[in-house]
Amino acid sequence: MKVKFFATIREHTGSREIDVAEQGCGSVGGLLQHLCSLYGRELCSLLLEDGKLGSKIIVLVNGRNVVHLQGMDTPLEKDDEVSIFPVVAGG
Amino acid sequence: MFGWTGNLLRVNLTDGTIKKEALCPKDAEMYLGARGLATKIMMDEVDPKVDPLSEENKLIFMTGPLTGTFASSGGRYEVVAKAPLTGTIGASNSGGHFGPELKYAGYDGIIFEGRAEKPVYLWIEDDNVELRDALHLWGKNVFETTDTVLAETAEDARVACIGPGGEKMVLFAGVLNDRNRAAGRSGLGAVMGSKNLKAVAVKGSKSIKVADPEGFMEACTDARTKLKEHPVTGGGLPTYGTQILINILNQSGALPTRNWRDGGIFEEAEGISGETLAEKYLVRNKGCFGCNIGCGRITRIPEGKFKSFGEGPEYEAGWALGACCGVGDLEAVSKANFICNELGIDPITTGATIACAMEMYEKGILTEEEVGRAIPFGDAEALVELTRMIGLREGFGDVLAEGSYRMASKYGCPELSMSVKKQEMPAYDARGVQGMGLEYATSNRGGCHVRGYLTSPEILGIPEKLDPLVTEGKAGWLKIFQDLTAVVDSAGICLFTTFAIGLPEISSMLRTATGINATDEEILKAGERIWNLERMFNIKAGFTAADDTLPPRLLKEPLQSGPAKGKVVDLEKMLPEYYEVRGWGADGVPTAEKLQDLSIG
Amino acid sequence: MSKILMISPEKCIGCRTCELVCSFTKINAFNPKNSRVSVFTYDEAAVSVPMMCMQCEDPSCMRVCPTDAITKTADGLVAIDERKCIGCKMCVSACPLGNITFNTYEGKVVKCNLCEGDPKCAQYCPSGAIEYREAAPGTMGRKKVIAEKFSELFGEVNE
Repeated sequence: MKVKFFATIREHTGSREIDVAEQGCGSVGGLLQHLCSLYGRELCSLLLEDGKLGSKIIVLVNGRNVVHLQGMDTPLEKDDEVSIFPVVAGG
Repeated sequence: MFGWTGNLLRVNLTDGTIKKEALCPKDAEMYLGARGLATKIMMDEVDPKVDPLSEENKLIFMTGPLTGTFASSGGRYEVVAKAPLTGTIGASNSGGHFGPELKYAGYDGIIFEGRAEKPVYLWIEDDNVELRDALHLWGKNVFETTDTVLAETAEDARVACIGPGGEKMVLFAGVLNDRNRAAGRSGLGAVMGSKNLKAVAVKGSKSIKVADPEGFMEACTDARTKLKEHPVTGGGLPTYGTQILINILNQSGALPTRNWRDGGIFEEAEGISGETLAEKYLVRNKGCFGCNIGCGRITRIPEGKFKSFGEGPEYEAGWALGACCGVGDLEAVSKANFICNELGIDPITTGATIACAMEMYEKGILTEEEVGRAIPFGDAEALVELTRMIGLREGFGDVLAEGSYRMASKYGCPELSMSVKKQEMPAYDARGVQGMGLEYATSNRGGCHVRGYLTSPEILGIPEKLDPLVTEGKAGWLKIFQDLTAVVDSAGICLFTTFAIGLPEISSMLRTATGINATDEEILKAGERIWNLERMFNIKAGFTAADDTLPPRLLKEPLQSGPAKGKVVDLEKMLPEYYEVRGWGADGVPTAEKLQDLSIG
Repeated sequence: MSKILMISPEKCIGCRTCELVCSFTKINAFNPKNSRVSVFTYDEAAVSVPMMCMQCEDPSCMRVCPTDAITKTADGLVAIDERKCIGCKMCVSACPLGNITFNTYEGKVVKCNLCEGDPKCAQYCPSGAIEYREAAPGTMGRKKVIAEKFSELFGEVNE
């Protein structure tokens, strides 16, 4: 599945998007753990807070905020697209 | 008085008389200042049925009690009149440094009446106020006007002016101050132009006092600290500016593309994103008066056919000139935005009107012959050229200068104008962000996003995470946002502070500044009062519940892709609940009980 | 090593919070014209520069003062003794940087006095354009930034 990074998240990952193999990332929680192992502690502290979804990020699965799906347990499939943003804004 | 100066200037442009008046303390307390206070004056003095471009309309520049003080981002003021684009009460908010300087000169606001026979500008230096000949300024763009006026008055004065757009009464011309800050929407610049008023220059040497200096500094410091520590105001906004929203909305399937015809996903979004802006063209960020956020953009396109330098683009402008027109070239979008500042026109309506024309062109309703060139979606050069033509009312620009609704109606296709009450809706596809649909339908100045910015909870999750695809509870939330925004706009601070602070902090600053002993609830109620007063003005101007609606595209054409696939805006469900929550009748009119409760009329 | 106010114009966002808070500290009201720090904005260059008294080592104002009202303290502050000041404004003419002025509202000669060791402008500046720190490490930081630019430049040439 495709995982896209935006704004300051790109500074941590050094890339705009990556392709992630499904196994071990069957859920949003699993994916975030995987990203932690890929990119290190600094990104990890944004993604996860005490094992829960970080408060300073927005995670979308196919455009839907996971908070309105099943949160960390939201299942992920092969063709899903995940977007990760830091909480930024405009208006 | 504390916070407020207690003085207003009344300038009759017809006979040239200038009077200093006392601010009514009761009005100040009930309507706070800026947007609220100016609306009250409009309600008291102007017939809501008046022709906005006639002498009978009034034009008011008004600051708030917190403007010019240490309040967080306390640099704001409001320009108010009956709006030419919509025919509603029009109030537009601006930052920069002009508002504070007006207060240092000793005035809370200026009321302009009548019409000058020949172009003039107003020069205020403390107690010396005079109207000066502006014939030599007529025709100059915003930058030239500002520089010339400064040279003639004082180099450290502050200037608010119109460009050719306002002079030629483009229906969405704005008032620009400090060169690149704008009271942009609804055509208040056209009102200024209709009065032959080219500019207002002000320099002040007096001070603003607050009722409880120590308490006030404590409240302000607390607010400023919260702003600094919040990821949005202390991180996202200064780094990326508002344009960062492009990718967020796009990923959420709610970035209106090609006049809202092609759903909420724009393939070229990355090219016009805040990330691209920061990476390639940003010179540095900039802050308005007393602001510790600093979201302004100073942008340079170093070479190529769109080589240019200026400020912006901001999100809604970047969207209107970009995704809405199918243009994915940030250089062209920035150049078009600079032209809007230079000529003094609203980039949101400009972009959305051009997009409407592009759709009409692709449908064969407009021809190349008539427009003067081909204008398919995505044509970056057409975008820039049409922007310029609008600002100067040149060629087909003269038709576009009426806004998308009047233009499209002229050709028998008003449904292609993506507007409400004739003002174009900005940058959030309400089919994917339901609460914004309700905001567009009910906002007191037509298609407006900012006064009930439910995007904040629905997309960003601030202050709470609301599901953008549902309608439940949106009416209640919208009322709170609309009322609180009215408070913020009337107090004189920037709306962006509300990402990090809320009613308690704002009320604290208001109380310690003015000495007024109001509770948080009473202050929020002032916001509700202001909202209802605006509503009453519109009702008296002839608006009814039938006008609280959305274009057919949003009500009948479901999105074809993305997370909101298959959805339209469920306005039918939200609107009656909204009227109820507001204490209005099913006809959308505030009841007598509600008006009495709010002490209106 | 005494502390000074370090100015980094490249960080200045032109918000004038420094002017606001300074005026409040001095006159308990808000008017940037009563501020001892002034921000100068150059739109074409996209640069803003906050300027205040630099507490010179060899103060011209001190040299020219006829009543010895201006002294350089052990902390490095160039201080004005208001009891001795006669308001002749010779210091205003003498300062080559224009950082001392006569304020008509207050009726006296004014300049930055570092808020008695806790300068408010530095405390409230949102971007770090004004900082209150030891002189030496500050200049080291600036040297290093410039040196890095040279390394980039020569790096490109070598490739």
